[in-house]
Amino acid sequence: MTFSRFIRICVQRLRSLFRKERLDDELDQELAFHLTQLEKENLDAGMSAADARREARKALGNMAVFKEECRDERRVSWLYDFFQDARYGVRMMRKHPGFTAIAAISLALGIGGNTAILNVGKAALLGDLSFPDARRLVAIQAVPEVTPAQIGPASVPDFVAWMQRNTTFEAIGASVANQEDFTRDESGAAAERLVGQAVTPSLFNVLKVEPELGRVFNDDEAPVGSPKPVIILSHHLWERRFGADSAIIGKRIRMDGRDLEIIGVMPQGFWYPNLNSEFWIPFSPTRYQLESSGRLFNVAGRMKKGITVEQARADVAGISAQLARDFPDRHRGWSATVVPLHELWFGWIREPLMALEAAVILVLLIACANVSTLLLARVPARQSEITMRVLLGAGRGRIIRQFLTESLLLSLVAGALGVLIAWWGVRSLESVQPPIGRIPISGLGVSSGILLDAILLSIVSSLLFGFLPALVAFSSEIDAQQATAHRRRGRLADILVSAQVGLALVLLVSSGLLLNSFVRLVLDDRGFDPKDILTFEYRIPVQDYMDSLGRYRGMPSFSFAPPTLQLQRVHEKLKALPGAESVAGSSARPVNGVIPPMAGVFVEGRSVQSSGQPDGRVVYFLVTENFFETMKTPLLSGRDFNQADTRSTPWVALINETMAHRFWPDENPIGKHFTIDAASGEQPREVIGIVRDIALQYIRTGPPQPVAYTLYLQEPETYNGFNANMYGQMTFFVRSHQDPLRLASAARREVAQIDPRRPIANVQTMSDFVGEGMRTRRYYAAAFGVFAIMATILAAVAVYGVMSSSVSQRTREIGIHMAMGAKARDIIRLIGARALVLVSLGLLSGFFSSLALTHLLDEQLWGITPTDPPTFALVITLLIAVASAACFFPARRAMRVDPTEALRMD
Amino acid sequence: MPKPSDLLQGTLDLLILKSLAREPLHGWGIAKRIQSLSDEVLSVQQGSLYPALHRLEQQGWVDSDWKNTELGRSAKFYSLTRDGRKQLEVELENWRRLSSAVGLLLKRA
Repeated sequence: MTFSRFIRICVQRLRSLFRKERLDDELDQELAFHLTQLEKENLDAGMSAADARREARKALGNMAVFKEECRDERRVSWLYDFFQDARYGVRMMRKHPGFTAIAAISLALGIGGNTAILNVGKAALLGDLSFPDARRLVAIQAVPEVTPAQIGPASVPDFVAWMQRNTTFEAIGASVANQEDFTRDESGAAAERLVGQAVTPSLFNVLKVEPELGRVFNDDEAPVGSPKPVIILSHHLWERRFGADSAIIGKRIRMDGRDLEIIGVMPQGFWYPNLNSEFWIPFSPTRYQLESSGRLFNVAGRMKKGITVEQARADVAGISAQLARDFPDRHRGWSATVVPLHELWFGWIREPLMALEAAVILVLLIACANVSTLLLARVPARQSEITMRVLLGAGRGRIIRQFLTESLLLSLVAGALGVLIAWWGVRSLESVQPPIGRIPISGLGVSSGILLDAILLSIVSSLLFGFLPALVAFSSEIDAQQATAHRRRGRLADILVSAQVGLALVLLVSSGLLLNSFVRLVLDDRGFDPKDILTFEYRIPVQDYMDSLGRYRGMPSFSFAPPTLQLQRVHEKLKALPGAESVAGSSARPVNGVIPPMAGVFVEGRSVQSSGQPDGRVVYFLVTENFFETMKTPLLSGRDFNQADTRSTPWVALINETMAHRFWPDENPIGKHFTIDAASGEQPREVIGIVRDIALQYIRTGPPQPVAYTLYLQEPETYNGFNANMYGQMTFFVRSHQDPLRLASAARREVAQIDPRRPIANVQTMSDFVGEGMRTRRYYAAAFGVFAIMATILAAVAVYGVMSSSVSQRTREIGIHMAMGAKARDIIRLIGARALVLVSLGLLSGFFSSLALTHLLDEQLWGITPTDPPTFALVITLLIAVASAACFFPARRAMRVDPTEALRMD
Repeated sequence: MPKPSDLLQGTLDLLILKSLAREPLHGWGIAKRIQSLSDEVLSVQQGSLYPALHRLEQQGWVDSDWKNTELGRSAKFYSLTRDGRKQLEVELENWRRLSSAVGLLLKRA
């Protein structure tokens, strides 16, 4: 069909629809014209006026028939039928606003929820990422053979070997996180801390994303030990800090004392390997790193076309096995594997998504069952109407179409509402906090497809709940044995009611479990009080205070002039802030730190000390003297640090309960000494106090760990190992009764006075910092709560519907019983028996389904098991109460039946 | 005289398209044209022209327009669209093939 003809036909159809009167009018005129012409011809041929008219009419034929035929040619009668059905449907909906609203809202929840989850799932789990040909992107990770679950970053020798020896990859690149302080520049942008990545130039061959401006790194920009001073910016950083300057390429910026040339800007929406990386600088290993077994580097690869993940996995595993044979000291005990990038980044969403998907499918099923019940219940009321139409010649198709039109109407209303819910659902999923090192859903950029999916789902669901009643309605009409049809309809309705009760129970149990676990989380004692605390980070770059000395126990060793004086000055400035009640610092986040710093510990007087192996490992923090006061962590025994503890007084430490129990199980630890195995300059420290355990993760996982707190003033002047960074950085906590965020700008100003190059970073309230995970769980509990409430209402409506129709159908029977002297109790038994059976069957099926399904929630539960008996018991009781209430009103109506009235009924 | 039902299905469409090939005509004019072209052999029951005309219009082969006749009366004039002109070629070709096939058949019979 040509385009012009297509347009012409569309115009014709539209005219037929919307200009019906005008077309009919034109048709009349057209035929009248023909008639006059015929008449005139006849007159000219010499006929009388009367004959001329009669002959003309004869020649033209039966005008009414032709007119009807002309109208039929317009091909829109089905649309008129549809509008007629739709008008009828709207009338029915307005007659039952309550039912309609409940049905539409629950359908919308089902449709919207499914749409949101399917869209997120499609992108996250099928690898629909925004990189070109993203399904070929994988992370290559090192696997410790002793604890294979802890797969993670690789060492430089791993990476180099994989890159040189693989046969399955097109390109392999490595990256390592890099926090840098951008110095105030000429344009006036203030100094700030930014997170970026040092990456091998080959990484851009893996990702294959073209920059928006400029270029990516050349292979020669990362010679061993001396990466070139160039930098690529993220679109966001370019806009925010550099005002989207289109001439930015070639300009220079200062970053942590280095002068860098801007060579590229990545396009909007590009991120790697996490959402908050704002710049990329070239990474090249130092000579030391080329032989190091430090596994810090994230490695990604692009598999060759046609290579499967299994082949790539076998390839790198083979290389690593060879490495372990050739260089046992560096590689023994380590294997390698390959994980698709989308799996690594977004795989965490699978479990929560599946649980949610199960819930929204249940909601959709309940809603469909409910609407079916609703339509079925209307069938008797519409018997005469349908009979009439069948008698007038309406076919089976026409009747079924009418029912389907009504259900389609309802589900389209629900679908429109569902689009909003889907949009909200995607937004909520995007705000869910992923586990550490994983990517939030907002990295997927899900948004398109929602509208279409919602419409498709509404049509499918309308077929789902519209078809059954439509068939039943029609067959009941042509069925001579009305009783049979009636019974069939009843049985179908019964099944639907039971199913709704059962499904509602599953959702109620799930939301009960989530609520229970959320309450437990809120009430959990974490050993500190996050309220009214402002927190931020301050850092002095390592190179400012450290020199490499060589090796100590196989680790690089450094001498450093501890920047404690500067940290002390910052601390003093902050203490003087107006409104600050108490200010403390810690070398790392005491809660929700990414990797808590660990160190070996020698306990004084233990015999094993001679072997040179530490007596145990502890997490340790360097803190300021009023740390526990600021955190409101209870001191259980001994004393806190105080002003009298200085660099020159004997070294002291506080320990947590777990460390006390584990290291001195039968003794009082106070007064005992231990030495931290971190440097040659370490001295024994006296335990002066024991504090309550501070949860290392706000949502606690695993058993509590031993923690030691030492004063940041009492530190050695040489250091070895990976935690060297912790000496030059401090996370500060400012407790204040004012809105903590109002202190932030004052704090920023004061700190800038000490050194304008060094900004404070990651400023936020402690509640926000620790509460992110809680927010996710609150969403979760809330979402399931809404589903469960909806499902319960629907189940109650269904039970109510069945009960009241059974009462009205049996009014006469009830009347007879009452006339015979039946008591109220007998009447309730008479009509309640059916409800009892239905609800019991529903509860039973729901109970077993719940047992089978709630393990899907395991990841989201905290402190209870997925089959927590009190929750089950409570929820079942609740549902029984709701069902009883739903039975109450019809039962009361039954008892008020007037026997004489009932018997007189026809 | 043949009745409209005696006309082969589709033949009426062909006759209408053909009679519109030269110039736009109203329904009456088309009826007259078919009559005169066929030397009065073919006469359609004139009312049945209109469903056919409306069908052709709905299918986009012809277009319509209200214009004044030479006598000053307003009438609905039909004209071929460009697609209609192509359709006429197709139908003419079909007709030729059919009639020659029928002719051949009759000669052999």
